[in-house]
Amino acid sequence: MNAKERLEKVIDNIEKVIIGKRDIAELSIVAMLSHGHVLLEDVPGVGKTMLVRALAKSVGADFKRIQFTPDLLPSDVIGVSIYNPKDMEFHFRPGPIMGNIILADEINRTSPKTQSSLLEAMEEASVTIDGVTMQIPKPFFVMATQNPIEYEGTYPLPEAQLDRFLLKIKMGYPSSKEEMEVLSRAQVAAPIEDLTSVISLEELLELQAQVRTIKVDETIRSYIVDLSRQTRQDAYVYLGVSPRGSIALMKASQAYALLKGRDYVTPDDVQYLAKFVFGHRIMLRSEARYDGITVEEITERILAKTHVPVKRLVGK
Amino acid sequence: MTSIRKNKFFMAILYILVFFMLAEWLTPVIVLTETGHQALFLIFIAGGLLMAFLRVPWWFSGPIKVLYILWFVIYVYTGNVFFTGEAIQFLQSNISMNFSALISQNWEQTTDVFRTMLFFVLLWMAIYLIHYWVSFRSSIFLFYVLTVVFIAVLDTFSPYSGETAIVRIMIIGLLLAGLLYLVRWMESHQISEHADKVALFAVPLILGIAVSTAFALYLPKSEPIWPDPVPFITSFSGQGGPGSGGNVGRIGYGVDDSRLGGSFIGDDTPVFRAEVSTGQYWKVESKDTYTTKGWELIENVGESVVYRNNETVDTEFVSGEEVETTVVSMEQEFPFVLYPYGTESFSMEESPDYQYSSADQRFETYQNGEELEPEEYEVSFGEPSYSLKTLRETSGEALEELPIEFDRYVQLPDELPERVRDLAIEITANSETVYDQALAIESYFNTSGFTYSQTDIPVPKEDEDYVDQFLFDTKRGYCDNFSTSMVVLLRSLDIPARWVKGFNEGELIDSQGETDVYEITNNNAHSWVEAYMPGVGWMLFEPTIGFTGSSSIDFDLELDPTDPEQPDPQERPETQKPANAEDEEVVISSQSAFWNRLTEFIASNRWKLIWAIVAMGVVVAILFKIRHRWMPKFLISYYRMRGQEPVQFEKAYLRLLKQLELYGIQRKSGQTLKSYATYIDSFFGTREMSELTAAYERMIYGGDAESIDWHELKESWENLINRTSG
Repeated sequence: MNAKERLEKVIDNIEKVIIGKRDIAELSIVAMLSHGHVLLEDVPGVGKTMLVRALAKSVGADFKRIQFTPDLLPSDVIGVSIYNPKDMEFHFRPGPIMGNIILADEINRTSPKTQSSLLEAMEEASVTIDGVTMQIPKPFFVMATQNPIEYEGTYPLPEAQLDRFLLKIKMGYPSSKEEMEVLSRAQVAAPIEDLTSVISLEELLELQAQVRTIKVDETIRSYIVDLSRQTRQDAYVYLGVSPRGSIALMKASQAYALLKGRDYVTPDDVQYLAKFVFGHRIMLRSEARYDGITVEEITERILAKTHVPVKRLVGK
Repeated sequence: MTSIRKNKFFMAILYILVFFMLAEWLTPVIVLTETGHQALFLIFIAGGLLMAFLRVPWWFSGPIKVLYILWFVIYVYTGNVFFTGEAIQFLQSNISMNFSALISQNWEQTTDVFRTMLFFVLLWMAIYLIHYWVSFRSSIFLFYVLTVVFIAVLDTFSPYSGETAIVRIMIIGLLLAGLLYLVRWMESHQISEHADKVALFAVPLILGIAVSTAFALYLPKSEPIWPDPVPFITSFSGQGGPGSGGNVGRIGYGVDDSRLGGSFIGDDTPVFRAEVSTGQYWKVESKDTYTTKGWELIENVGESVVYRNNETVDTEFVSGEEVETTVVSMEQEFPFVLYPYGTESFSMEESPDYQYSSADQRFETYQNGEELEPEEYEVSFGEPSYSLKTLRETSGEALEELPIEFDRYVQLPDELPERVRDLAIEITANSETVYDQALAIESYFNTSGFTYSQTDIPVPKEDEDYVDQFLFDTKRGYCDNFSTSMVVLLRSLDIPARWVKGFNEGELIDSQGETDVYEITNNNAHSWVEAYMPGVGWMLFEPTIGFTGSSSIDFDLELDPTDPEQPDPQERPETQKPANAEDEEVVISSQSAFWNRLTEFIASNRWKLIWAIVAMGVVVAILFKIRHRWMPKFLISYYRMRGQEPVQFEKAYLRLLKQLELYGIQRKSGQTLKSYATYIDSFFGTREMSELTAAYERMIYGGDAESIDWHELKESWENLINRTSG
């Protein structure tokens, strides 16, 4: 069974629970395969939690959920050492971060201190407590959600932190037909309980390793760099995509190519993923807000005008 | 991605081109203002550009330039090479003097030193401006056009000759403009700088410029449509005059011929009218001494003879049998008597004394001891005729026995280049008699690539010979060039010859029975040749191309019925010509003969060639416009002949993309091949484009050329490319 078939099975599995969101499932898997994390931005009740749980179940991974609140402390995320009077020693009690797949719900509700403890752990894939560094078990995949509607009492994530997320995805509402399907399924029982894993964690790690072997031709690399540079030159853009953003786009494209059963990246992969990779990495000037220009529009425009390489680069 | 502007080598080339362009500006200014030290000014420009190129900060380059200017002033005006105390004092006093002159608005009092400094400041500004144009705006077109206009205006209205400068400027300017366009283009398309990409543009650019320059230099240049405005303006304001000896003159009869050459503009002011049966050459005088620059007359030779009304005159030409009387009426003041060949006698109402001087064969009229300008007079004359038989007996030996009076007609300056004599011998190598020699020289000009022109004729410089320049360098000229050259060539063979001035036939304006009325204007002022044929006498020759003076002499062979070999007189010149033409081919090397023939062919078929080129251009343009219709057929057979290698597939696919764009389905810049292929397939209702594109993408992005089976894909490709011809 090749990579594509295995991953399709995972997606089909998720689709049993989340209706009409195949693209979101694909993107989640792309992020997971390229060791990245996802920021889900949407209103409550569209199935964010369900998506993550379904994903965790499908790959047989350990699922943890952290509900972020204003009074949550870093130790509540990464764990704490507790003194045990019996043996007169400190024992480390791991926090919820020490899992495979973490749902960080409403991440913008907690204080920056706690936010950064999570984001650091995401970046390093390890936590350090009392001078002891501990690796977080692999695979490690965080899906953070934030509610774009409520601003009262929130701590918006700083731009530097946003860069840690590979993709930013919006779920959106289902169509009426899909929503009716959701209802009919929920009538009987919660379908999530019936999900079984379709691939093992070892297989997932293997697929993660396979992503790195996907070929990225020089033309594609130059295309990615061109796109990133365009964001830095746009008149509306205050802060463009960083080189880390370019790396993110390349890695995500590799994973997407694997998902599509190819061993090389095409410009289509890059174009498709650019919207999700660039979305949270571009900061607009205030002029853009006055003119009603959104980051999505900027990205579309850059994609439309940047020349797609269709010939082999010669003379290198 | 680095901009090409960062490429030091490329920018250095641009700056070097800019330097040469600026030098072209500087040169005429230096020449026209008679400023010296051009090299020092050029050093200033070069230094300024170099510092601009190296992006030397202003606080460093500014003082250096100021120091250089001060040093220049000191060096040029005081002769000091270093900043000595004396030099600094000179500077101080000068600056304070000019400063006070400026304050008191006494512009006249500012010194040359100050003006020199101002000129340097001007240069400084020019350097900065061009540096800005090249480095920041990447555009030079305005400056280029201004330079061309500048040089063109100077060339037209000043003594500065921009003939070669304009060629250099065109080359430099085209190169600069082309390369700067490359910069702008690469930047607007965000193409990174690679040597091969630059070369892809630069090599055709340079080749194109080289080819067009070579072609333009080779092509014959048409004459200016309008006369050179300067002589026109000066003559209009009455400053020009005949024989003024300058670069350009106004045509007409002049007395001073000591410096020949230069261009002429036409002047159709009438001089006189003549009622004759056929057009005549009207002789005024001749000159005997060639000075390498023009003609002069030896003083105190010959004698003066005075004739009266109707008294038979001796003009060294025997009049023919058919004597007629012509009426000459002057239309403007002219101090000499004009007379046709074979003149027997004059008749004027005033009945003056006709004084003939044998030195220059000139008639002047006196009445009561004062000069009289003739207004209307009658001349009896009979056109001289020559016996061909006698002419055929003219031999070189007889020349040696000529009396001493003829010495002045074989005079030649010592400086005359040897190659002129060699040429004379060469031309006449096959001629047996003196007459044949003269005819050979006369017709030489017709057959050896000489052109008649009144404009753009040089005046020989101090070390140049008028005849030598015409015969070997320019081969362009008007009557003075041709006639002087023939006289010199004749004399170098020791045949006595003299240079004759007068007027040619003029224009036939009216016809009254047997008599025609000719009007002779300044345009008809002319010069020709008289050569002495031993045993026959003086004879007229007409070497100037396009003039028929010779034929007006009747070779009346009826006089000599005993001559058995009497040919038709009309054939005479023609029988002579082929023999000469053959000589030419021996003389001229085969290569230049080829070019001669080619230029002749182009000249004679010019319109046909132009139309052919235009027609070809139209056909090519139409074919190009509809190329998407015929290209597929061609491409299919082309790629059928090619191999099965994946690289052929790559080329074929790219060709298909181009063909689809010609068909009208444009791929947007940001559109991927896959989405384009999907569109193409939905447009044509096919699947092939997606199939081909998938293979192509696998090859290009996947680097997997081995999996491409071009043979199998070819059918899909042919199917698609055929659809684009519809």
